[in-house]
Amino acid sequence: MNLPGFIVRNAFRNKRRFALSVSSVAASLFLLITLQVALRELTNPINDEGSSLRIIVRNKVSLAQPLPARQLQVLDKIPGIVTVSPFSFFGGLYKGDEKFTSFAQFAVDPKRTLPLLADAKIPKEQLDAWIADQTSCIVGQMTVDRYGLKIGDRLQFTGQIYPCDLDLKIVGIYHGTADDRNLMFHQKYLDELLGNPGTVGTWWVRAASVAEAPLVTDRINKAFANSSAEVRAESERAFVLGFVSMWANIKTLIGGISIVVIFALLLVTVSTMSMAIRERFRELAILKAIGFRRRELFAFVLAESFGLAMCGAVLGAGGAWVIFHSINIQKLTNGLFVMFEVTPKMMGLAFSVAALLGVLAAIAPMFTVARTSVVQGLKTLD
Amino acid sequence: MATPENIVTIRNLSKVYAQGEIQVTALDNISLNIATGEFLTLMGPSGSGKSTLLHIIAGVDRPTSGECLVQGVDVTKLNESQLADWRNQNVGFVFQTFNLIPVLTAFENVELPLLLTKLKRAQRRKQVEAALELVGLADRMHHLPKQLSGGQEQRVAIARALVTDPKLVVADEPTGNLDSHSAQEVLGILQSLSRQAGKTVIMVTHDPKAAAFGSRSIHLEKGELTN
Amino acid sequence: MALPIRYSLRNALVRWRSTIATVLGIALVVFVFVLLQSLAAGIEKSSGNTGDPRNIMVVRKGSTAESASLIGRQNLQDIRYLPEIARNANGEPVISADVLVLVNLPRRNNGGEANVLLRGLTPRGMELRPQVHLTAGRWFEPGKREVVVSAKLARRFANFDIGQTFKSGSATLTVVGWLEGGGSAFDSECWLDADECRSLFERDMYSSFLIRPTDATAGEKLIARIEADRRFKLKAEKEVDYYRKQTMTAAPIKWLGNFLAVTMSIGAVFAAMNTMYAAVGSRTREIGTLRVLGFRRRAVIVALLLEGGFLALLGGVLGCAIAFYWNGYTTATMGMETFSEIVFEFRVTPKLVIEGLIFAVTVGLIGTLLPAIRAARLPVIAALKSL
Repeated sequence: MNLPGFIVRNAFRNKRRFALSVSSVAASLFLLITLQVALRELTNPINDEGSSLRIIVRNKVSLAQPLPARQLQVLDKIPGIVTVSPFSFFGGLYKGDEKFTSFAQFAVDPKRTLPLLADAKIPKEQLDAWIADQTSCIVGQMTVDRYGLKIGDRLQFTGQIYPCDLDLKIVGIYHGTADDRNLMFHQKYLDELLGNPGTVGTWWVRAASVAEAPLVTDRINKAFANSSAEVRAESERAFVLGFVSMWANIKTLIGGISIVVIFALLLVTVSTMSMAIRERFRELAILKAIGFRRRELFAFVLAESFGLAMCGAVLGAGGAWVIFHSINIQKLTNGLFVMFEVTPKMMGLAFSVAALLGVLAAIAPMFTVARTSVVQGLKTLD
Repeated sequence: MATPENIVTIRNLSKVYAQGEIQVTALDNISLNIATGEFLTLMGPSGSGKSTLLHIIAGVDRPTSGECLVQGVDVTKLNESQLADWRNQNVGFVFQTFNLIPVLTAFENVELPLLLTKLKRAQRRKQVEAALELVGLADRMHHLPKQLSGGQEQRVAIARALVTDPKLVVADEPTGNLDSHSAQEVLGILQSLSRQAGKTVIMVTHDPKAAAFGSRSIHLEKGELTN
Repeated sequence: MALPIRYSLRNALVRWRSTIATVLGIALVVFVFVLLQSLAAGIEKSSGNTGDPRNIMVVRKGSTAESASLIGRQNLQDIRYLPEIARNANGEPVISADVLVLVNLPRRNNGGEANVLLRGLTPRGMELRPQVHLTAGRWFEPGKREVVVSAKLARRFANFDIGQTFKSGSATLTVVGWLEGGGSAFDSECWLDADECRSLFERDMYSSFLIRPTDATAGEKLIARIEADRRFKLKAEKEVDYYRKQTMTAAPIKWLGNFLAVTMSIGAVFAAMNTMYAAVGSRTREIGTLRVLGFRRRAVIVALLLEGGFLALLGGVLGCAIAFYWNGYTTATMGMETFSEIVFEFRVTPKLVIEGLIFAVTVGLIGTLLPAIRAARLPVIAALKSL
């Protein structure tokens, strides 16, 4: 019989304790991953090809303050801009949803929109149909799948911000962007419903090149300085990070909790290992008496601790991966979370944490093994 | 038949148990009478069944067949909770490994059996103090077992065994973990319980010198009485 | 008959080196639970408002919050002379039409930017909210570009000291006073004159009306009348009810707190189970002796449950104590309904502490149950023979 065989058989000797220890490590790692995933979803700016060229222009007062529609004439004249479109966030409640509609509706200018969504793929007939019909809309593939929609369906929305309701017909479905959820309809349609107030929510601008983007941002800001509606133009990334900064404290909180979880993990593993070793004093002493050297006993302790932690990692992290891949998180959390993706980086983090724990938890028992003399060990009665 | 002199009457007692696939006969058709006030020693090599016999008499184990009457009560017919009550009132135990509760003081250890009775606190205290006096440890009442020597621990155990004033005291290798001086002390106490207090003491031992303290000795081998 | 309680307590404490990990583990679980729930409690309080129970709030039908609601001026004309509305000494209807504007402003110490809620209101609006006091400076004068900011917001945002000015859009506003809202939603608002607000931010629509009805019955009639009228497309309810429903920010945090507590407690239960199995494993002879002496299985189980429960309670107390350190700590986050920064403080309420302790004890009892049953089930004879 060799040492590895001995280790494995020993670990399984007390099946119940083995199962309990692995389960508690697994539960904690599962939690760690869940926290990371939630954090990522809440704060991660969506990055796709087009985003580095996109500039968001809002009223300098705040995002909630509208912009005069006539600004378009000024924007069209600014060099370095490929296209500009209004983008008014409607934020309505879909008639089928009770409390939360997890996809956004934007009022845009269809003729100018497509270049802004660089990767969006949509059949030409659908795009033309949209441009032609002022009461129509296009919807992202993800929302279509989630709600079971098809071309020709009529969708109604209750206005939660704007004092009007929408009634739109789906004429196109797009896919290929990083966030295939949004619905887009005609700004003109919204204008008519509101009695032509002459305002838009924001402007979305596509710069000619990555190098020109900062210059374009500057030009836009300057163009409206000292006007009645000063603007804040910023790259899309800066815009999203602005949101994140509003969440600032929540991020810290979740980060803090992750640390607490790791600490709790450590405690559990350490306590389990030291209990296991205490039960093994006699055997370890006998092994020592037979002639196994300290080094080998250390290896024995370390291997068991490490193995335990890894089993927990496979169960917990692997379990998280499987679970989040199979369930519909959107339904579960009522739209609060949509994607819940477990990235390889997170899995790596979980396994590293487990490995670290396996090593740390073996330290104290290894010390005791080293210190306990053979005679003491043999005299140990349980 | 139980007579006033025979406190224990055993008829055709057998105990067979399975160890894996093998059937092991611990006791083979034992019949035996024990008189009141005897100090009986059960002797024999390891595996002879002496401890098994002791456990059955004390109501801690059950035989496969046969009967065992203690003071007219057939202990083999009592159910678990009846046995628990019966043991509490009628038997005092002394173990080789003392078996004191480590977190309780000597006083509290001796008091334990009384907690199962209806006695009030003041009355319990009197009996505990009396028992500890008897074994000469009244001054160490509030010490924890780890603060006592082996011999002292065993004497506390004897006090605990006596505190409900049982008719029967059973001891399983009571001197096995003691040095010879303490062993002598303990055996002396057991002997005086039999001679002066009129209690029946049944002791399992493999040591002939310990057995010499007893009034009668019986031998077991492979589950059968010899001699 | 039961084993003495001190048997359980002393056994719990004597093996402290091996049980300390479990106690700390339970402490951590309770700490996380209490902390998150106290966070949610703080947010809830600061989104709420124990307003005058008579007041009625009117917003647009379908809007989830005042700041997203838009009501036309025609609506004001239609409603203000309804008979159910009380009149003040001058015969004017006690109705306030407020305009809410979100303004993006920098925090102090380069802490980034956040949206701040500005409320344009009339003297009537201030009368209807007597729980809001001035704590420094003075109230704004009508017709002037002056603003009174919440004292709590003043600590967080740049240029909010009295006398300072800040720009928003084309306007420059002067801070002339600090207000204090009694731990309600108003502690995250800045007040200015309604007309100034409308002209500065080019708003010709109102956000909400606040109305004082003549009496309770009139109030109910008014609500029914407004809700029923299809022209209006308005929602009317008691002000206190409106604020009670502002739970969107606290709700996910409560959910997170419960979720974390449940998942972490699974780990804690396993740890407790492990600890108690080990404790019991090293005491089989002791337990056997108790059974020999006559103690029933039940007594042994109860004693072990007490032991596990006591350990868990220690953990719970420790966890609550650490969480309590945060009690009263003030911070802020983005309110999900108002979309502006709301200032709140952690509130470790007695109710939460009790919940935390009960939770801890439950974890301990669940973890101890199986080991206890196992211990008591051992045949007495096996316990005596164990080495």
